[in-house]
Amino acid sequence: MRISTIALANLRRRKGKAAFLVAGISIGIATAVALLTLSETIRDEVGLQLDQFGANIVVVPRSNSLALDYGGVTVSGVSFDVAQLSDEDARRVRDIPYRSRLAVVAPKLLGAVEVEGRQVLLAGVDFEEELKLKRWWRLVGERPRGETDLLVGYEAARALSLVEHAMGDRSVPVVPTLAQTAEMKGHAHQSMDGHFRVVRDRLTVAGREYRVAGVLTPTGGREDEMMFGRLDGVQAHLGKPGQLSLVEVSALCQDCPVEDIVAQINQQLPNARVSAVQQAVRARTETVERLTRFALAVSGVVLLIGALMIFTTMSGAVVERTKEIGVLRAIGFRRAHIIKGLMLEVLLVSTAGGLLGWAAGLLASRALLPYFSQTGAGLEVDPALAALSVLTALAVGAAGSIYPALRASRLDPSEAVRYV
Amino acid sequence: MSFVVVSDVSKAYGAVGSGAETRVLKGVSLEVREGEFVALMGPSGSGKSTLLTVLGAMNRPTAGRLVVDGIDVYALSEERRADFRREYLGFVFQQHHLMPFLNALENVSLPLAILPLSAREKRERARSALAKVGLADKAARLPSQLSGGEQGRLAIARAIVNGPPLLLADEPTGTLDTRTGDEVMRVFRDLNRAGQTVFMVTHNPSNAALAHRVLYIVDGRLAPDPHAADPAEGLCLPTAGLAQ
Repeated sequence: MRISTIALANLRRRKGKAAFLVAGISIGIATAVALLTLSETIRDEVGLQLDQFGANIVVVPRSNSLALDYGGVTVSGVSFDVAQLSDEDARRVRDIPYRSRLAVVAPKLLGAVEVEGRQVLLAGVDFEEELKLKRWWRLVGERPRGETDLLVGYEAARALSLVEHAMGDRSVPVVPTLAQTAEMKGHAHQSMDGHFRVVRDRLTVAGREYRVAGVLTPTGGREDEMMFGRLDGVQAHLGKPGQLSLVEVSALCQDCPVEDIVAQINQQLPNARVSAVQQAVRARTETVERLTRFALAVSGVVLLIGALMIFTTMSGAVVERTKEIGVLRAIGFRRAHIIKGLMLEVLLVSTAGGLLGWAAGLLASRALLPYFSQTGAGLEVDPALAALSVLTALAVGAAGSIYPALRASRLDPSEAVRYV
Repeated sequence: MSFVVVSDVSKAYGAVGSGAETRVLKGVSLEVREGEFVALMGPSGSGKSTLLTVLGAMNRPTAGRLVVDGIDVYALSEERRADFRREYLGFVFQQHHLMPFLNALENVSLPLAILPLSAREKRERARSALAKVGLADKAARLPSQLSGGEQGRLAIARAIVNGPPLLLADEPTGTLDTRTGDEVMRVFRDLNRAGQTVFMVTHNPSNAALAHRVLYIVDGRLAPDPHAADPAEGLCLPTAGLAQ
């Protein structure tokens, strides 16, 4: 006979109440596990999407003599013969130890060119990478393929009379993204019968003829006034083969600080200036943290309700067991022995509730994941989460039962044994 | 030398001097010698049970002292008094207060649960206590599977399993019929004959007749034996002797 024997016997005697407590704790833990697991998965996914949505690191030549604004980012020395970046530099960026974290490495060469009497900024880009980076771009026309294909920003196209508005309506309809357009291929033009259409697809740039493959719908950004061509073609056209003005990088910063990636790129390219786009990083962090805070807040409320339920049940149990506790006190049990016995019961119930809740939460997450996640990433059985679930259940159980247990230990044995 | 010395003990409930104060014990003094069997009688509400809980180190008196084996009991901290109860006292309650979810052996083992003994030793002690009250063959029974008399004897076994120097009983036959009541009282008598000090509250004169001495309490004060020819003889004096 030990105190644990009494605790176990008490649980066996009150199977219904014990089951009720286990169920209450399980529901609390299951809700918390499901919410946290789902939010973590969604957070990873949102984080991944945010990471891929635009650059969060920009690599430019180390020159502070002059600057040119590009896409809200100050790019130094792009149109002057300072130490330029090269194709090799872009390759070296892809060689950093954290290379698996690099979602997109988009090299660019920028240059001002004369087009039909106007100065226009021409950007040579790797369209594969650029389209991954600029997921918000939409176009009328098709994706550039050849060396002389151009993608023209909306304002530039309008200034160069490349587009015409249908029925005088200048609003822009929802049209497919570039990636979707690429999949549509031959059907692209039929789909682009919205409020403006491309009326001219030939353009002479500094004496060389280009085909206007597509026109970007207005973005409100710097690209509205720019033209984009294939990197190698633009390099040849500008007489800067193998040279780059900047490299935009989209890094996946889920579990690593962007500063580490910046440091690694800096190490690879000592002559370049590498900077994190703090605004993008901060926005991502805030979005991700907001999701986590929401899940934690809801879990906290559910667990608080669980603790209150335990408190109510245990308070009731103490009243119900006044006589029994009084007898134990009368035969020499110390207050600590009474507390130990009651807490042992809660510990057993909480452990069972924690484990059951963890399993139920995991199953619920698996069932709900397809409704919340686009990628439908699988869930892993994480022993650390199981341990955390049990520890949380124990904490909730302890929080809910410590006061009733203390109250039980303070029962006056002479009054308690009179109780019938 | 007296084993138990109660000196001028008073007990009042409610705020003293508030007018709502109820004085249950009024300057009670008595002594119990080692190996003695003392019965306490008195009408309902006279303070019998209160005096028993004061003797049981569970109910701090408003005034006066309780000294057991030289220990000033109420000078001890609450937790040390719990230890004192475990080491010195065995309780038999009127309602027996057995744990209905534990079998007889487990009920008897309850006071041993907090002792640093091996499981085997605890089991042996519990079996020995059961044997002393004649329930050796009922160890696996739940209290609900025992008769009233057996439940009373089981309560006694639980009270003596620690080998306490003083056994306190609060109307142990109060809920039993005469036959089963006698069955229980025989156990008290046998234990006392074996040297156990017993202090018992009872309404039943035949039970009291088993004691060496009968004390009467009326309105919170020890009183002379109302049946004695010389009232002075009834006060804290040995009775005619143990019934056979």
